[in-house]
Amino acid sequence: MTLQNNQSHIPDIPTSNGRYAIEACDLSVYYGDFRAVKKVNLGIEPRKITAIIGPSGCGKSTMLRAFNRMNELVPTAHADGEVLFQGLNIYAEDIDAVQVRRHVGMVFQKPNPFPKSIYENVAWGARINGYKNNMDELVEKSLRQAALWDEVKDKLDQSGYSLSGGQQQRLCIARTIAVKPQIILMDEPASALDPVATLKIEDLMRELAENYTIIVVTHNMQQAARVSDYTAFFMMDEDRAGYLVEYGPTNDIFTNPQDQRTEDYITGRFG
Amino acid sequence: MAGRQGKGAKQTTFQTDIEGFHDNLPRRNRAARTWLLVLQVSTIIGVIALAALLLNIFDGAFGYVAAQNSIDPGTLVIGVQEEQMLNAPNTFSSENDNELAEGVASSPYAIGFFGYAYYQDRVDELRTLAVDGVEPTADTVDSAEYGLARPLFLYSTADIIQDKPQVAAFLNFYLDRVSQEIEDVGYFPLSDSALNTSMVTWLLATGVATDEGQEVKWPVINPQGVTGDIVSAGSSTVYPLSARMAEQFEQAGYSGDIEIESIGSTAGFRRFCVEGDIDIANASRPIKRSEVEICDQIDREPVAFRVGTDALAVVVSQENSFLTRVSSEQLRQIFTTAVTWSDVDPAWPDEPIQRFIPGADSGTLDFFVEAVFDQELADMPKEALVAILQANVSEGLFRRFESENPFTERTQEEVYDLVLERVVEPQIVQTWPLFESIFRRSDVLAEAAAKYPDAEVEFVSWIDPEFVASPQSADPERAGVRTAILGSLWIILITVLFAFPLGVGAAIYLEEYAVENAINRLIQTNINNLAGVPSIIYGMLGLAVFVRGLEALTSGKLFGLVDATTANGRTILSAGLTLGLLILPLIIINAQEAIKAVPNSLRQAGMGLGATKWQTIWHHVVPNAMPGILTGTILAISRAIGETAPLVVVGASTFITVNPTGPFSKFTALPIQIYQWTSRPQDEFRNIAAAAIIVLLIMLLTLNATAVLLRNRFSKRRFS
Repeated sequence: MTLQNNQSHIPDIPTSNGRYAIEACDLSVYYGDFRAVKKVNLGIEPRKITAIIGPSGCGKSTMLRAFNRMNELVPTAHADGEVLFQGLNIYAEDIDAVQVRRHVGMVFQKPNPFPKSIYENVAWGARINGYKNNMDELVEKSLRQAALWDEVKDKLDQSGYSLSGGQQQRLCIARTIAVKPQIILMDEPASALDPVATLKIEDLMRELAENYTIIVVTHNMQQAARVSDYTAFFMMDEDRAGYLVEYGPTNDIFTNPQDQRTEDYITGRFG
Repeated sequence: MAGRQGKGAKQTTFQTDIEGFHDNLPRRNRAARTWLLVLQVSTIIGVIALAALLLNIFDGAFGYVAAQNSIDPGTLVIGVQEEQMLNAPNTFSSENDNELAEGVASSPYAIGFFGYAYYQDRVDELRTLAVDGVEPTADTVDSAEYGLARPLFLYSTADIIQDKPQVAAFLNFYLDRVSQEIEDVGYFPLSDSALNTSMVTWLLATGVATDEGQEVKWPVINPQGVTGDIVSAGSSTVYPLSARMAEQFEQAGYSGDIEIESIGSTAGFRRFCVEGDIDIANASRPIKRSEVEICDQIDREPVAFRVGTDALAVVVSQENSFLTRVSSEQLRQIFTTAVTWSDVDPAWPDEPIQRFIPGADSGTLDFFVEAVFDQELADMPKEALVAILQANVSEGLFRRFESENPFTERTQEEVYDLVLERVVEPQIVQTWPLFESIFRRSDVLAEAAAKYPDAEVEFVSWIDPEFVASPQSADPERAGVRTAILGSLWIILITVLFAFPLGVGAAIYLEEYAVENAINRLIQTNINNLAGVPSIIYGMLGLAVFVRGLEALTSGKLFGLVDATTANGRTILSAGLTLGLLILPLIIINAQEAIKAVPNSLRQAGMGLGATKWQTIWHHVVPNAMPGILTGTILAISRAIGETAPLVVVGASTFITVNPTGPFSKFTALPIQIYQWTSRPQDEFRNIAAAAIIVLLIMLLTLNATAVLLRNRFSKRRFS
């Protein structure tokens, strides 16, 4: 895959980033003058599922989007500090956000397939990224990985909108997988879905975790407990800036939180 | 709660804590109903206004017209044939019938025709021929079996006869004496029964008799006993007879003034039925049904008194031994193309025909031609039609026709059409709008018959294929909208090519890229304001920038196209660019709205997959905004098609008869044409303006339908 010549190249295979797949160092994110996330240090374990939990407005989504510079779609947003991916700071001046996003894919809260055929939904990302090999194969493989192939293999030319909400979300996951990212960001991927579809997505996440590093934002603490390997708990301070309270293996966070605020939150005293 | 109130009282309201709730409720419902009514009424008013507009247009585009020929085609035919007869070899023509009679008598190979009276003067020298097997006798003439005869009438009404005893007396005198005098004048007397019919009519009209079967003695009225004037007018054929009768009436003691005008049968009927200022109409033909209807309008019910018959005798010398009967066909040959008698019939002698015919000034020749030749203009040979054309149009125009397409190349039908268009030249003398034509049909027809008795009244659609296919013309009946349609289409093409990419591009930039700052806000505000600037301002801008400033470009000089007819940059290109500027703000604003309506999640999805911003815009934002962009463009184009003012300023020509050939042509456009036509004084221009409006509407609908189909294809492909 070729990227622009005069820019640092992020290789497809991770070489060195310490032990982390991606790591935020002293990261603050601002919307204009407002600081939404304050001085976060967070190292994400490779091929694991990391859940970000916390009360509403504590900057969970902002934190997630900081990992692939999606915040930049908001014109006033900017970030301080570093996010290291494969040893490079993705906020460095010579790094193109486009290649960051190609390596750090994203699945959104509300299923948002393109108004195109199922096939095109999966193929488009790969095609615009310059994928030249057998597209049919890639589409099938991606759909299989997203556990959607059996349901859609006979109607690949139908609109993505013809699928149910859960299927649409899995289509979005397949679309993300098709560009072969190393990290997949999921922003409350099941919040718009019914419980059955939610379970399917959760199962799928477990399967994907064998090959991908997944960071998931969720409101649902049971989901975090069920699905994630690591959990980061965020809160906001009196300036409404989000900060990391506690981070560790999910088991520890849910059974033996070190911080009183974490315990209060997971036991339902606030949030 | 309701249950506790018991069954007796019928409860319709629930209990509530809010004070005044139940008093309030009817008022709120009333307000809701009132507003609904307001909405309904405004919708209805809108629909009515639009319907009225459409009806108004249709009112003008269809309806009755009265078309009057500049020249009666019959007259043209007669003219040609008279010419042919007069130019035939061995033809002697004279206005003096006695000379003709003498001439025919002088040779066994001579033939001629004239009023029957002159034959009677020389019965021993001359012999009449049976025409189509019928001899001219009092009986055959009276029964109209003999083809070369026409009845002579007086027309009056029972009311006039009863109100004016002098008219009754004159008619009484006339009918009493006409048969004694008529042969002197040169006509045939009526049979006894025909004269009797006229007399019975008189008796019934005067009221002397009340029933046809009644036996009444013919009263003879003494002319001395009546006073008052008599006015009559009409046929020139009847005139000498009436004049003679009037003279005798006066000699018999009539003291009033009797006036007889020789103006022709048709004009006589018009005086009688429209102006109503004559007591008696003289006619050499029966009254037409349409004329009776017009008479009815002034409450006149014409009654006819037949007084005699005019007949032509076709005569040969008594010495002629071979000819006793001829057919009309033979007569045609004898008096035109045949040189010798054997040319007509091999059994006849091989001697030259000597022809004696009345001169062209006499009505007799006309009558003969009409009766014997009986040919329609459409059936005339091509050569005759070309001759008619040459004789009746200017030399220059004739040469133009010849150079456009030589007459030898043209078919008889084409020449006939040309004669019809240029010589017969039916002129529309009055038009009636559609609704009058439908709902007051009989009034319209009566009015047309009264005002233009010679005109042909027909229901026409001003919009027809010919109207669409013809170029502009100063003559509303020949004018069409071809040049205007092509002009409009060319202009719209340029407009769209210019404004669409520019507008969509600007919209994408403003929506997707432009950052929020003072300059961009200013730009946005200006675009919004420009959408409301009066179109004439754009016209002035176009004049200054495209016509004057960029003349080298818009006149095509830059491309080496120096053409004197391209009028200094007043070209389709200038017009298209000007209209493009005019609709640019509309396209930008509509495209911006459409782009705004594309959900952000699509942009995020695209960007999240590692697409560049442009890829996301190009592959997702623009295609999804396209239906909305096209809707806006359709509206903008509709506006551009209907624009007039800027085109006038930019320099649209109002009169163009050649098709525009490209961006550097001079142009006119449909709205310009409509505007120009509506300001003309003649009614017909308003009719063709209405027709052109319909053409414009159809064009608009067609273009819109195309765009809508295009748009639907777009959205179908993407969302279903």
